[in-house]
Amino acid sequence: MRLITHNMLQCHVKGCTKDNFPLKLEEIEIEELEAEFNADFIKSMLNRLDWKALAQTTFSLGIAQLPEEMPEELSDEMLEQLHHILLEIDITSGRMVCQGCNHVYPIRNGIPNMLLTESEV
Amino acid sequence: MEKANIKRKSSEIEEEEIKENVNKKIDTTEKEKINDENKIGKSQEISEEEKKEEHFVHDVYEAIAPHFSDTRYKPWPVVDKFLNDLQPGLIGIDVGCGNGKYLGINKNVYIIGSDRCSNLIKICKERGYESLVADNLSLPYRSDSFDFAISIAVIHHFTTPERRREAIEEILRVLKKGCKVLIFVWAFEQDRKKYDEQDVLIPWHIPKKKYLNKKSLNKKDYTESEKSEHLVKYERYYHLFKKGELDDLVDQIKIGKVVETGYDRDNWYVIAERI
Repeated sequence: MRLITHNMLQCHVKGCTKDNFPLKLEEIEIEELEAEFNADFIKSMLNRLDWKALAQTTFSLGIAQLPEEMPEELSDEMLEQLHHILLEIDITSGRMVCQGCNHVYPIRNGIPNMLLTESEV
Repeated sequence: MEKANIKRKSSEIEEEEIKENVNKKIDTTEKEKINDENKIGKSQEISEEEKKEEHFVHDVYEAIAPHFSDTRYKPWPVVDKFLNDLQPGLIGIDVGCGNGKYLGINKNVYIIGSDRCSNLIKICKERGYESLVADNLSLPYRSDSFDFAISIAVIHHFTTPERRREAIEEILRVLKKGCKVLIFVWAFEQDRKKYDEQDVLIPWHIPKKKYLNKKSLNKKDYTESEKSEHLVKYERYYHLFKKGELDDLVDQIKIGKVVETGYDRDNWYVIAERI
């Protein structure tokens, strides 16, 4: 799972509406991928992602220390760093924990399991 | 000539089988439900619809995933065009992505596939596609956040009109306002085959030797004939949509409207916009 995907995910347990995003990544394993750099694609993605959640997640994983707010001008260097963060990091295992209700979503073999049990829907 | 006749006959038999099995199997499901309830008490209440979908949709796809995947590779032209017309840099979802046959069509957009069947998602992942296991009725995404969505051959697997509507509404919820979803469902009005009923069980035959490992072989109760033959039969539940039925479902949803509608090779489709 890439961090773009993580940035779109939210806890969907019934009645969980507070602190349900972003899900906290724990005990994760990472594999590095290679992807072709495309500055326009990265800029477009950044306009669609929640920057604060991305900064929080990358900081807690020790991957990067991004500014709290998205800079208005992004240098080439920063775009390349973001390219790496967004497209070249694959989370292969671990878990995502909701900070609101503590629900745990496991990630195995690179695949997040987002199913709930019947009583949680 | 002779061959054609035989073919026609076997397809008639198949249809008879479908009808019979709908009634027979649903009866069995009902019995199983009662048994299960006795076993586990009332703590886990699963509705009859959910049970039916579990038995005739989820379990079947888990079992047939590799064989199903080998038969699903040709993209449908309408879906292909919808995806290739997207601007570069958009982000979207394929809900019920199956083996991921649409996840790599347009390399200039970011697309996340999801499916209820984990064995199909494993295939997506092996192919290098971004994908996760999730239920269409409760998507794990933020609201108002995606630029596009597709739902190809998925909504017809839900067993009631309410659940079909909820499944579409859930996709619209996560789309941004003004963004669109393409939905394909199987049509009741088909060129090659006539059906008497809209709710049917469609058989799927798997060559045993090639696709079934011992574990899944033991899981299924085989009939005597299946034990000796090289094919194993599974059945999937389908609701066959009549003309206008899919449009009507979208019309019932406050946050959506139909912007395009059509018929393509035995399927009805709509493009619905999030409003």
